[in-house]
Amino acid sequence: MSSSQQSIEVRIEGYRDVWVYCEHEDGKLTRPTTEVIAGARKVADKVGMDVVGVLIGYNLGDLVKEPIYYGADKVIYCDDPRLKDYQVLPYTTVLSDMVMRLKPWALLFVTSEIGKDLGPRVAYRTNTGLAADVIDLIVEDFVMNLPTGRYVYKDCIAQVRPDFATRIAKIFTPKHRPQISSVRPGNFTPLPRDETRKGEIVRWEPRFEEDDFQVEVIETRKVPKSEVKLEEAKVVISLGLGILRDASGRPRDPREAFRLAKELADLIREKFGVETEIGASRALIYAGLKELEGLITKERQVGQTGKTIAPEVYIALGISGALQHRVGMQRSKRIVAVNVDPNAPIFQIAHYGYVGDLYEFLPKAIELLRSM
Amino acid sequence: MSSEARQDMLVFLLTKAVPARTTRVVTVGGVLRREEMDLVINPLDFKALQAADYAKRYNGGKLVAISMGPDFKVKPLLSELYSHPIEGVDEAVVLSDRRMAGADTWATAYTLSLGIKKVLDVNKAAVDEVLELVESGAPPEKVLERARELYHSNLLPNLIYTEKPGLPQGVVQRYARGKAGAEEVREALERVRKELDRFLIVAGLKTSDGETGSTGPQTAEALSGVLGKKIPDITHVTDFEVDVESGNLIAERKLGSYVQKLRAPLPCAITIMPEHRPGVVPVVRRKRAALFSYRGKVREVRVWNADDLGADPSKIGLAGSPTIVGPGIDIGGPPVQKFVGRTKVFTQRVEAFEFNGQRYGPFERFAKADDLPEELVRELEAKGLLKTFDLRDLLEEVLGGVVVAAKH
Repeated sequence: MSSSQQSIEVRIEGYRDVWVYCEHEDGKLTRPTTEVIAGARKVADKVGMDVVGVLIGYNLGDLVKEPIYYGADKVIYCDDPRLKDYQVLPYTTVLSDMVMRLKPWALLFVTSEIGKDLGPRVAYRTNTGLAADVIDLIVEDFVMNLPTGRYVYKDCIAQVRPDFATRIAKIFTPKHRPQISSVRPGNFTPLPRDETRKGEIVRWEPRFEEDDFQVEVIETRKVPKSEVKLEEAKVVISLGLGILRDASGRPRDPREAFRLAKELADLIREKFGVETEIGASRALIYAGLKELEGLITKERQVGQTGKTIAPEVYIALGISGALQHRVGMQRSKRIVAVNVDPNAPIFQIAHYGYVGDLYEFLPKAIELLRSM
Repeated sequence: MSSEARQDMLVFLLTKAVPARTTRVVTVGGVLRREEMDLVINPLDFKALQAADYAKRYNGGKLVAISMGPDFKVKPLLSELYSHPIEGVDEAVVLSDRRMAGADTWATAYTLSLGIKKVLDVNKAAVDEVLELVESGAPPEKVLERARELYHSNLLPNLIYTEKPGLPQGVVQRYARGKAGAEEVREALERVRKELDRFLIVAGLKTSDGETGSTGPQTAEALSGVLGKKIPDITHVTDFEVDVESGNLIAERKLGSYVQKLRAPLPCAITIMPEHRPGVVPVVRRKRAALFSYRGKVREVRVWNADDLGADPSKIGLAGSPTIVGPGIDIGGPPVQKFVGRTKVFTQRVEAFEFNGQRYGPFERFAKADDLPEELVRELEAKGLLKTFDLRDLLEEVLGGVVVAAKH
């Protein structure tokens, strides 16, 4: 049918460049922002466009050069005392105004509290689509077979995101521009910071609208940094529901698994001088075990509804490896799976397998490591 | 109680029916076929329900759940919300229409905003109707009769008309007995009408199927367009309170490594973090809230289609969705795998060599030998060049690599 069908090429003209909404905290770009700049670079180079860093805030100072140092070609910034604190209405107005007047081809946010607030509002106001939580960006044509013909939308961004229905889904915004995504941290490696890089820096004058300042910031306070630094760890040892029983099916105190995992983590940290952290599967966290209170908290969760991480080594202990978990750790460089069930899905993506009892694996590994 | 104090407040709960299981998900061309799956209320929406319920019990008013999806699937689920978790919702509306199917967050937000507007319109119309009766000089008994009907439809608060024991009579009831003047009735109705414009929208942080978390902020944006007035949203709310005196929302929200405390006028939309714990409502507040509440629950879930909402067909469902879900792709094949106690690996580096006319290698230490011809494996084993991969090898290879990586 399709062979006789006519191919119709569609190009959306008049839009240029890949914008990155640059988040900053304490006078610095956040790390995920530098990652998204790298992601934007990959896409922009494919289609011969520029990467533009967009900064909004007050007293930005030298910060406006930072996106260039991290790989952007150009910066547009809006510096105004009324933009000192992030607030959804004035920020939406400023960014939407920029988008509607300058017509970017793509606009990328970080998946963060700001990205998940500002992104959707700007997408709605500028009448375009938003793909949230994407883990990769690929330039490709989008093909739509309709009774009237085979429509080929040239050079779209396939916004790749984890999707339970289809494993990994590609979201397209074929007819609307800009193509807006929020990009999950941990999926692109920031480009090395290079102070010799040069680029154009443009100041943008805000045009606020009535009612933009109806919300008032009463207080902003820093939250003590989490002790758990899952995203920064080079080695992550993760625990799943498998820790509740040993290979013979006998119930075990999950605190023992935590203690052993922690001992192994401490040993790795000490021996190899690398940051090592304990992670957990959603199933274990939501089991809400009394014994693990305060030990296994939400901030340790790896997976679709938790954190996406890509450490050098990921050791999955008693984790069966449901898709929702895998999307959070599959980019780890070396995956070690320990599970009594040889058919556990985790073994499909593991580089190293240990079919057996984690209550045997842990003491043995600790002992061996001590002797090494 | 100051004259500016809050009266009743409409609280909207945005909720969604999601697939009960992550297996057996039915999609056609990337569009979820909700009508063919077992559905449940999105788990995080219960956190939102708790929060919305708390706001209502604290301030009075009523709690209206709004959802979009195939009505025969969603209606029974919304019915369950009436008894959840403390007082539950008072009313529920499902926006259901074939033309709404396949909506992304943009089209969903547009549709939900029309649903909210319609609820507001229905409530305002009820107040206006009584107001007009009073203004047209209708006999007080007639005003009383109509108010009673509207009260039973849950459209007038106890302040205007009530049959609740323990509450003072409504202003219309007093009017009918000659104990209140038309002016007092008019004032009360006008206040109620004004309060209808100061509503709160509560949504869960995200849904378990779409996972985007975009619908809350986008509904606020869509509603801003529909009502012609900017409605703020506050996402990632960990704590909130409605300040009775000012009628403002005071909320704390997560923002990177900071917490922002905000004061927002109503109407406003919030999305609730899973860790939010509603506080305890003091008895005095509860008593006061009862005065400003409605009769109770309308158990029949209302169903509105696109025409009921006056929706622009080009803005709903698949047609109104800027994003399209493309064909799914696999996550990628398995890597080179080594199993402890099973995989044969080289014990040392072996330079390239020939065997039976074939060229092999070079092989690094720990290189996998499983894929080599059996005959060759036997010969290498005899030479002591192969061994079974053990735990020590695993640790050495895995963690040795870390040290190298850490140095770069």
